Amino acid sequence: MAGLLLSRTEKVYIVNGIEEDFRSDGRSNYDYRPIELETNVVSHASGSARLRLANTDILVGIKTEVDIPKPETPGLGKIEFFVDCSANATPEFEGRGGEQLANRISNILQRAYHASQAFNLKQLCIFEGKQCWKLYVDILILECGGNLCDAVSLAVKAALFTTRIPFVKAALMDGGDVDLQLSDDPFDSKPLVVGTAPLLVTLCKIGNKFVVDPSAEEEFCSIVSVVIGVSGNPAHYTTEKIENVESKFTTIGMSGVGGLVPDTLKSAISQGIVAAKCLDSALGRSLLRERQDICSYKKDSYGFLK
Amino acid sequence: MSDVYKVIHPNKYFNDYISLNVRPDGRKFDEQRSIKLNANAISNADASALIKCGNTTVVCGITLELATPKAEEPDHGFLVTNVELLPLCSSKFKPGPPSDYAQVISNTVNDIIKNSKCIDLKDLCIVSDKLAWVLYCDMVCLDNDGSIIDACITTLITSLKSLSLPAVSFDVETEEVKVDISNKTLLKVTGLPVATSFAIYQSPESNIVLTDPTTFEEEMCGGIGANLIVCWNQGLLCGVQKYGGGNIPTESQKNLLQVAKKRSKLVEEVIETCLS
Amino acid sequence: MPFDYRRFNGPEDSVSYKRFSEDFLRTYDELYKDLLDENGKRKDGRALNEARSLCTSISRTNIVSQAKGSAYVELNKTKVICSVFDPREITGHQNEYSWFGQIYCEVKFAPFSCPRKRRQLVPDSDEKALSADLKKALETVVRRDKFPNFQMDIFVYILEHDGGCLSAAINAAGLALADAVVPMYDIVSASSVAIINDQIIIDPTEAEEHLALMYTDKEKNHGLVTMCFMHHLKQFTDFRQIGSVDAECVLKVMDILEKECDKLMLVIKKIMVSNVVRQHNEHKVLLEEAKFREEVLQSKVEEWRKLLNAG
Repeated sequence: MAGLLLSRTEKVYIVNGIEEDFRSDGRSNYDYRPIELETNVVSHASGSARLRLANTDILVGIKTEVDIPKPETPGLGKIEFFVDCSANATPEFEGRGGEQLANRISNILQRAYHASQAFNLKQLCIFEGKQCWKLYVDILILECGGNLCDAVSLAVKAALFTTRIPFVKAALMDGGDVDLQLSDDPFDSKPLVVGTAPLLVTLCKIGNKFVVDPSAEEEFCSIVSVVIGVSGNPAHYTTEKIENVESKFTTIGMSGVGGLVPDTLKSAISQGIVAAKCLDSALGRSLLRERQDICSYKKDSYGFLK
Repeated sequence: MSDVYKVIHPNKYFNDYISLNVRPDGRKFDEQRSIKLNANAISNADASALIKCGNTTVVCGITLELATPKAEEPDHGFLVTNVELLPLCSSKFKPGPPSDYAQVISNTVNDIIKNSKCIDLKDLCIVSDKLAWVLYCDMVCLDNDGSIIDACITTLITSLKSLSLPAVSFDVETEEVKVDISNKTLLKVTGLPVATSFAIYQSPESNIVLTDPTTFEEEMCGGIGANLIVCWNQGLLCGVQKYGGGNIPTESQKNLLQVAKKRSKLVEEVIETCLS
Repeated sequence: MPFDYRRFNGPEDSVSYKRFSEDFLRTYDELYKDLLDENGKRKDGRALNEARSLCTSISRTNIVSQAKGSAYVELNKTKVICSVFDPREITGHQNEYSWFGQIYCEVKFAPFSCPRKRRQLVPDSDEKALSADLKKALETVVRRDKFPNFQMDIFVYILEHDGGCLSAAINAAGLALADAVVPMYDIVSASSVAIINDQIIIDPTEAEEHLALMYTDKEKNHGLVTMCFMHHLKQFTDFRQIGSVDAECVLKVMDILEKECDKLMLVIKKIMVSNVVRQHNEHKVLLEEAKFREEVLQSKVEEWRKLLNAG
């Protein structure tokens, strides 16, 4: 974030603090900032979530559309990510300024969700080779307060968790066309299975240490960061008893200018996978609680968009 | 010292050479550069060829696709030729959509090929009004050192000559298409157009015609490409294009056509040896 | 897709004929069966841990006469060409003065480079991602403080894609930068592996990469890892992984890639040295040839020099 101005002393303060495992806002190097999450905030979307991680503010809406599957993968649905950096977030996003960042984030998400063990695209299939669901994941960055990747991935997973896909009856007609029949009842739908959906964790190298969840000031002090995508554990996302699934890396990437010694990178990704597992179970717990709350009594309207 | 001279006084440098009856790279005025041709260099393409005329390098690759023919020409296939002048081949080209110059080159190559009628588009039709071949011919310039159209035409013809089409069966009832890759037939190519570029230099005494110019020579003669392109098709003159530059002196007109004719013979031989 | 008025377009509904051939829709299991023969060798006869050799006789620098520096890299069927141009000043009033030079990278596939489909002429998201990766890999290596407020253009063109595109692009760009005498901290080398069903395959071909990223219900590790390494500083400048791989496997792959990059480094050095020797010899021959012409020209140059000295 070039709009941020930090003096030399401030930088030294941040870097030295991290060396002592004590960050300027009182956290240790492994701590996240408080996260607020709200689901089903946009009534027109099939699923939506809004997430606030300190000053970072993300709104995710998911749209479902019927599409024709790709010829090389007839039995799979499609998922696409669009990131929009609102000009409100920081003045640099005005015009085409946010485009590069938006492309980078959607690229990372696309890679992270690509693996079959991360997100099962088979559940989006309607009629093999003819019709499938396509999920449009629209991500709106309302405010930038550092650590965009992690916040976006959390919000996307939460939004996918609340997404419901209508039951469709498909029948093959003469001439190869498919006839789709949709039920009138909006509750005649199934939720998506998203337990394994990946979360992204950014590890920022500041001085000689890695920190998770860097604030905008901390990002400014770092030259290189490692972004990892770690698939989730479906056991956290259901009330039924199912077996734990071991988390795996679905994507690893580096950003920023700078190199890393192999051992440093190894310790970084090991640190990252621990953080990702904690995040995943915390997200699962709160999403289940929210779902229960909605079921048990009508949710009081409060919050940002309601 | 002469390098510095070239950078500071390019016009004078060039003129000095010309006045000594020699070109900066040591060629005579009507001498062409050596040609290296290699067919099927790229195995992922359905047919391909690479040419090197001096430094100018062009690769042509053909990809085959199937499509329904146009309603107004139900028994014609498609031949789509494009010339890409990559930003990597010269600092004059910037990334992004093709420049005006690139479009001119692309159009000229397309015109020459279409007018020479070396491919009968009817041969590309499989089932009238239902299915036809689309030949995407992409010529990519890897190193632009002048006379690029000559190189493009030669690679294109070479790759067309080495192209074979797989057998296709089309079921009229179910509209099902089946392709048998193991059974291929060579595409019929009639004629063999060969283009030869010339640059016309306006020296104070007279206008001098340079065969197969390099980029530096093209620049010195004004304009962004070659000034004159003469196209011969197996002993028949099939096209002459003139783009800016000086006037052609009457006495060299005949000679110029002869040079182009001789070169077309030579290129024909090169293609023959390359494909045999 | 928007209509491109600047090029000749084919019909809109055209599809590759390969879609109608028998092997287009082969399943994961079928392809997996074909991956290795009974001796545990891959289709091209290599062992699992055997990389394709970066052929020193074919791969070379200084291939594009118009560029400042250029390189051509060939790994069996994968063919990549790269050129680097002189730095040019960053213009435009909205840009602030930057104390570091900028690097602009563009990776492009030839329309006929891929075995499965025809690539479009307009850049797609794959190419943009590759360009971003290449930029990340090179930014760290180049001494950008040497050309403040200047931009250096690096263009990579993939003539034929048979796996390992990113690593080939990085290797080619590294050679081209060296050929253009751009100051760098170290020589870069890049290498890639595919992980298919827990087996680590070094320097995969396109078919192997395709299988590694294919949709499967298997729980085993699948994925692709590409790494760019600076040999003397012992640092990664870029590390990319996709697919789903567990932590143990990632750590193992890192060690393997480090070794591979070290091996590659020797080859790259050899290419560089042999090219310097070749260029030197070529230059000598050219000078010899030009001697006569130069002598004649010399009188003119002398005239010019006198003029210069006279002011």
